Amino acid sequence: MSTTVARATGLRLAVVGKGGSGKSTVSGTLARILARRGHRVLALDSDTLPGITFSLGAELTDDVPLNAAAERNEKGRWHFIKGVGPARAVQRYATDAPDGVRLLQIGKNDRRGVGPNRASHNAFYQIVHRLDDVRSLDDWVILGDLPAGARQAAYDWAPYARHFLLVVEPTWQSMLTARRVARITKAMRDDVTLSLVVNKAEGDADAVRAQEFLDVPLIAIVPVDEGVRRAERAGIAPLDGAPDSPAIRAIEGLADALDAGSIERI
Amino acid sequence: MKIVVAGKGGVGKTTVSGTIARALSRAGNDVLALDADTNPMLGVSLGLGPEETDLLVAVRQGLDTGETEHEKTTEGFVQRFGRDAPDGVRLVVASRIERANPGCACCGVSAESLLAELESEGKIIVGDLEAGIGTVMRLQEGHADVVLVVAQPTAKSLFIARRAVELTDDRGGRVIVVANRVRDDEDLAVIREAVGDCEMVIVPDEPAIALADREGRAAIDVDEDAPGVRVLIELADRLASMAVPA
Repeated sequence: MSTTVARATGLRLAVVGKGGSGKSTVSGTLARILARRGHRVLALDSDTLPGITFSLGAELTDDVPLNAAAERNEKGRWHFIKGVGPARAVQRYATDAPDGVRLLQIGKNDRRGVGPNRASHNAFYQIVHRLDDVRSLDDWVILGDLPAGARQAAYDWAPYARHFLLVVEPTWQSMLTARRVARITKAMRDDVTLSLVVNKAEGDADAVRAQEFLDVPLIAIVPVDEGVRRAERAGIAPLDGAPDSPAIRAIEGLADALDAGSIERI
Repeated sequence: MKIVVAGKGGVGKTTVSGTIARALSRAGNDVLALDADTNPMLGVSLGLGPEETDLLVAVRQGLDTGETEHEKTTEGFVQRFGRDAPDGVRLVVASRIERANPGCACCGVSAESLLAELESEGKIIVGDLEAGIGTVMRLQEGHADVVLVVAQPTAKSLFIARRAVELTDDRGGRVIVVANRVRDDEDLAVIREAVGDCEMVIVPDEPAIALADREGRAAIDVDEDAPGVRVLIELADRLASMAVPA
């Protein structure tokens, strides 16, 4: 494996899949479970629509701290402000989420679109590309919740990730999307592993079907869950709203599998 | 007439688009279904089947690899990149999903420019937009006569639905909220609270639609008399009646 990544001992994860498949539910819950187990966790939210922020139970604010991290020079090129690099940017602009998770957000688009958050977008992109150089994060778990679909995977928004968790629900739309994402990821990155999380499963047969279709190793089956549905309706973290639900137990199982290194560690 | 369908990923935009397109066509309208999602799936909900839908994407991807020549005219675009779907609906896939110009967000033909250029005289265009609010934000006068905002009773989907409604209101456009997967009064209440008093149709949580999703079929083929499917067929009737100039 590449020497540039050999140092990192913490998990480096990116969660991908179709919109609505449950990426944020899985990633937000997983981040907190790993944090409760003593890991230091940095959650990266590169979605301009609300996702992991809700699922973590973090505060959704209009304020985008990361906008302060970058500025434009006279030629119109974006760069970090003086005295800030990726390490300090994470330290300074990540915010606290429950259970000690640190959350770095690209910022949500409001009705004006991306415009007001260009600084934060540029800073975020630079940070994710230089995370491997940040020694102070070496033993942290870094977990990115990518926006729906294949585009961010294709445009290299998760270069830090060594493991992609592909979240799929047992619908054809979700499975076709997952297949597209898997193909793109495999074509672009030969240094990553891909594991399948089947969400909203109505039985093991759903998982078998998805796994056979996608030909990606299965790491967790998360059942369809009324408690999670209610939490998402209320806009609270599933881990707070339905802590003892079967879905949360399944995500704890996913954390076990990741902790035990059942997917290849780099 | 131009109808576009917006909402968060996974809320049922494509099911709404596909079912309405089929119903409009059955009622005798000339229907062009435009799949403007960057992750195109409308073929599945129109009843073309999953693999056939993926093939259509592959044709578009030929542009990336140079196997397919670019098409200059929108008319030629509909001809060459379109396909006939059941009930006489013409399906066109607008977006490419893989790499075009790195960093380019729209990737090929943008949905709003196609909506502006496509001739809708005497026909109905149903555009299934990309997830989120990107395209809704860029819509301008003449791009869409009606925006259907699909929402389901989750906080995340309602955050996006509210934005889409606000943006359309700001433009003075007509918006109808399609409240999807509604099981009970509480579901309805959270949706109503989020989107305010705008026009709304309620689609109950529908086993026939869930089955269609799992089997990769069109909901209207699974059970056209199922209550959830009926609501969408009735919505199509209403939309068609709006298309007739007073």
